[in-house]
Amino acid sequence: MQIGFLNLYGGVLNVRQERASLIADNIANADTPGYKAQDVQFQQALAAQLGDGPASGSAPLFRASDTVSLDGNDVSMDSERVEAAQNADQTEAAATFLHQSTADLITALHPNPAGN
Amino acid sequence: MADIFSIVGSSLDAQGSRMDAIASNLANADSIAAPGTAPYRAHEVVFEAAPVGPTSDDGTGSSDPAANDPGVQVLGTVLSNAPPNMTYDPNSPYANAQGYVTGSNVSSVSQMVDLIDSSNSYSASVAVLQQADRVDQQILSSFQVS
Repeated sequence: MQIGFLNLYGGVLNVRQERASLIADNIANADTPGYKAQDVQFQQALAAQLGDGPASGSAPLFRASDTVSLDGNDVSMDSERVEAAQNADQTEAAATFLHQSTADLITALHPNPAGN
Repeated sequence: MADIFSIVGSSLDAQGSRMDAIASNLANADSIAAPGTAPYRAHEVVFEAAPVGPTSDDGTGSSDPAANDPGVQVLGTVLSNAPPNMTYDPNSPYANAQGYVTGSNVSSVSQMVDLIDSSNSYSASVAVLQQADRVDQQILSSFQVS
């Protein structure tokens, strides 16, 4: 049996976790000379996770929008912290939806809702 | 992919050694050197991106290009080339022939600025750690089916 939401939320959580790691990398390397901030594009990465997009979609890309400092580092600590908070909230949202959907599924699977 | 905890750990480690270097510089800001000996020179820690944690083949078979997620590590320490502080004090036993005492080349102000920067990075890493922990708890509790 194919349960759609399990695949979808599995993919979402995988991409969110990968993003969390990349953001942690960016913050860890905020003082590394020559380091360039990286991120994934959520849409393409999720499509790659679910198997209906090019597998290269999950490759991290460089953020090209920020100011580059004299030592070649372009990590903006503030925007990384915002991204981290946003990503954490979205991960929690996905986990909450997954929890609710699973609970609904379990309820539906009970032969007798009264439980006896 | 290196997990978020090893990345944050490497960051805390690196910022820790940077703060050690700053503490040593500040402690030696007023050190002086006898004529003919080398004065204290400020230590500056240099970071580099480097893979952390266990090797990235997690057995899922997905040849993930993100597998080489770098953490950070200390590449080495360089000594500042700033000129030493010379103070005119002809009565000091360490004064040279012109009456100047050679001090360290530490600039307390720039060390304090560096300390604030390092402290910001440190707290950002700790914030990421707390966030990851909270999200993990949430996901674990979502697997709990009553």
